[in-house]
Amino acid sequence: MKHPIRQLTVFTLLLVPFLLTAQTGYEIAKAMDETLSPKDMKAEMTMVLTNKQGKTRESTIRSISANDNREQIIWFLSPADDKGVAFLKIEHQDQDDEMRLWLPAFNKVRRISSKKKADSFMGSDLSYEDMTSRELDEYTYELKGEQEIDGIPCYILESTPKEGITRTYKRFVTYVSKADLVAIIDEAYDMRDELLKRRVMKYEKQKSYNLPVEIYVENVQKNTNTRLTFSKQEVDTGVEPDLFQEKNLKRIPQ
Amino acid sequence: MKQWFIDQSVVHPKRSIILSILLTILMGTGIKYFVVEDDFMKLLPQDVQSMITWNNLRDEFGSTDLMFVAFGHSGGDALNPESLATLWDVTQAMAEVEDVDEVISLANMDRMDGDEGFLEVSSLQPAREVSDSEISSIRDYLDDNSKIRARSLSRNGDYFNIMIRPVVNGRNDVIVQGLQKVAAENLISYDVHWGGQSYLTGSLPLMIRTDVMALMRVGLIGMLLILLLSFRNIPAVGIVLVTILLSLVFMVGFHGWMYHLTGSDAFLFSILNTSMPIILLTIANSYGVHIITKFFRKMRLTQDVKGSVAASLDSLILPVFLAALTTIAAFLSMIFAPLESLLGYGISISVGIVWAWLLTTIFLPSLLVVKKWKPDSVAVSKASGFESFVVAFGDQVIKRPKMILGAAIVVVLIGAYGIFQLNIEVNMKHFFKPENPIRQSLEFMDDEMTGTMDLQLLINADLKSPEVLNKIESIQTFMESHPSVTLSISIADVIKLMHRMINDNDPAFETIPDTREKVNNLFTLYSMSGDPDDFSSLVDYDYRKGLATSMMRAISTREIVQLVDEIEVFLSQNDYEDLDITITGMLVVFRDLVSLILKSSFISIFASIIVIALIAAYFFKHWIWGAMAIIPLSSAVILNFGLMGIFGIDLNHVTALLSAIIIGVGVDFAIHYISQFRVHLRREGLTPSISHATMQDVGYPVMLDAASNMAFGSLLFSEFIPMIHMGGLMIFAMISTSVGTLTLLAVSLELSKHYLAKVEAVKIIED
Repeated sequence: MKHPIRQLTVFTLLLVPFLLTAQTGYEIAKAMDETLSPKDMKAEMTMVLTNKQGKTRESTIRSISANDNREQIIWFLSPADDKGVAFLKIEHQDQDDEMRLWLPAFNKVRRISSKKKADSFMGSDLSYEDMTSRELDEYTYELKGEQEIDGIPCYILESTPKEGITRTYKRFVTYVSKADLVAIIDEAYDMRDELLKRRVMKYEKQKSYNLPVEIYVENVQKNTNTRLTFSKQEVDTGVEPDLFQEKNLKRIPQ
Repeated sequence: MKQWFIDQSVVHPKRSIILSILLTILMGTGIKYFVVEDDFMKLLPQDVQSMITWNNLRDEFGSTDLMFVAFGHSGGDALNPESLATLWDVTQAMAEVEDVDEVISLANMDRMDGDEGFLEVSSLQPAREVSDSEISSIRDYLDDNSKIRARSLSRNGDYFNIMIRPVVNGRNDVIVQGLQKVAAENLISYDVHWGGQSYLTGSLPLMIRTDVMALMRVGLIGMLLILLLSFRNIPAVGIVLVTILLSLVFMVGFHGWMYHLTGSDAFLFSILNTSMPIILLTIANSYGVHIITKFFRKMRLTQDVKGSVAASLDSLILPVFLAALTTIAAFLSMIFAPLESLLGYGISISVGIVWAWLLTTIFLPSLLVVKKWKPDSVAVSKASGFESFVVAFGDQVIKRPKMILGAAIVVVLIGAYGIFQLNIEVNMKHFFKPENPIRQSLEFMDDEMTGTMDLQLLINADLKSPEVLNKIESIQTFMESHPSVTLSISIADVIKLMHRMINDNDPAFETIPDTREKVNNLFTLYSMSGDPDDFSSLVDYDYRKGLATSMMRAISTREIVQLVDEIEVFLSQNDYEDLDITITGMLVVFRDLVSLILKSSFISIFASIIVIALIAAYFFKHWIWGAMAIIPLSSAVILNFGLMGIFGIDLNHVTALLSAIIIGVGVDFAIHYISQFRVHLRREGLTPSISHATMQDVGYPVMLDAASNMAFGSLLFSEFIPMIHMGGLMIFAMISTSVGTLTLLAVSLELSKHYLAKVEAVKIIED
């Protein structure tokens, strides 16, 4: 029989390297939040929606965003039926977000409610809540372990809204790349604590930023999915703040 | 061969009893695989064109066959805080019920508001607890949107309407049980009404089976009492009872084994199989009654048990075998039926009949041999009053053959005339007595809500085209002009509402926009604020297929045919060629199903009669016997449908199907009579008293058999009108086939006895 003291010593020595480098969930979330992001970004996106019967709908969108995506304007380029429709979103900290839609056939701009954060954005599997940034201090974090995803070592980070914070999800489980501190996979659980959506992200380095090149969202309960593919990405181009105004919806920039 | 059967009971009675019981137990172990199927949808044929279309539609749009639950207080105002909170809870709880795809009620409907350049899609009932101002906002919105109001509230605003969409191929019986549990927990203080075709199909099978099984027990007791009064001997009744129960165990076990071994849905025990136990009980009873009656008659003469058993079997093995064979032929004709369950019905009951025949010819005589009979007991020594009456009745018939034949022909002709008056019509509502709670609920739903039936128009066209949408709107206007249609809903309604909202809720804009771009912009606008699934029951993903659903009051199959014809005429007259429109829905499937069952039931009836004639002709060795064998049965069929026509009883798929089934029970009598007539002809030659002798032999068991089986007329006390029809049909079939045999067949044989004697003489020489 081995000596118990010797066993404990060996165990402790094995644990030391881990303890020396271990981070708390909060620290990982904070590090992610502090990751360098572009001041503004221009891109074209192809959005493919697939319904439960496997039928697809494809749209092409031009997007300009700034201020960590808190201000965004998008124009539909295709399909032909949607060409010219444009959408403006401005998030506010202390008041309801502003959302406006330009409807060229009616020659009208219409404001849209932002009360229902769980609503789908443009019929996709992304809700408005999915598209807004998660405020660091509104969640509690727990490091659930580590796992390799497609050869990328990841932290498994669980985020739960703090009491009093109203969200449509009960919790998130995020697989965070250790090297780049970006989310590789993000799983959202509904209020019954059942997996609702699974988001898989791919990135590309540009000017030291990790820019998304593809976002695949699957609603596992509805059996639908949305694939967003990014192209022609430009960052820090010096977008004028006054671009994010209603009048600019009416003209698609070249 | 005949001697082998006789030896089994006379020489080896104990061995035969033990073997019969062991084999029954062995087959009976299949009961553990016996599966009761209460999901009516599983029974429908999947290869009928209307079913294929409907299934495709359900794959695309989800189930269109809704269940409805209404609750409230008559004369009250449903829009109050307490009732809205209950509606909220019930809506959520019902959404959790297994196999429920979606629950639609005021509590989870969205509202669309537009004002001062703003469009918002939000919840109509914002929370469980609502304030007075929120209630008044809901009320105002419903007053402005009549179609939404009609779907969610009763005409007087005193009841809520909840619509439940089952998942495609979901089990309606499971849903109904789940919903009823929710209602029992939450709606105890409210009046609750249920409706919808899927509710009926989900709730009826269990209710009918429970009802029939209870009445079947009453019928069985009645049957045994009639036998007891007639036999005046408890062990004799016990012997019949044991024989029929063993037959039943064997058949049920076989049904279970077949399901286990084949996995075929044909061997599920569904609502269509409900009559199986009753039918087998009556058939097994018939065989037993004939053997025991004959045994007592022989005992009265010889007082020798073994000799009497042997003599009874000697004269009855062939007729009982032929009765079994013809009955099996009648049941196997069910293979023409379009419903898979009826194939399983036909096979299992045929096996049950074979076993009943074997038990009656081996097991039952063995029991007679083993039992110690007192020669001086009343059962053995004296004929019963009933027996004396039947013999006297037979004598009167035989004395007046021409008059009886003439009267019988007149009756059959009247029946034939009645067939032309027959009204073929099915209205599910009329399957219940007026005082039945289900019927009252259905009538409430028809009077106060939007009805419980629906019809779909599947439209293949460019559903973003204003021209197409305007045409859909005009079709809906046409549909709503029909008195049975309460409401029509399509994507055109949603577009009109969005158009109004985007124009600051101006009612003048509740129209289809004038350009395709505008229609498209409205869809895009909605997708920014509403759930894209909101339209999934109205239009497909590509906006190439749409549904215009008409909510309707309960109508009959005849009215469905008329309505569909009217729609087709309207569409052909009004330039709708560019819209590829298919009329579909459960109603259309039901219309086709009823027509199929009626057709197949008639084919089955005619096929049975022909096969019975062929079997009788083959075994009695001349076509004339085949023709004679079907006289009582054919007359009974003519009278059955004819009297229905004369007395205004609608012919529906259930009555037709039951008629086809009950024919199998009524076929025996003629076989027994002809068989005995031939025995006398061959044994004694043509004597003036041949008909009298035959009547003495056969009249009493035929009438006793018929009378005891009539105890299953207990079904007349059922809650369900089709079951009442079954009880009535059972009584009618027993009277018409037994009386037909002892009158029409008896006098036909009497009048043609010289020709028949020549036929038999030739056959005797040939043999």
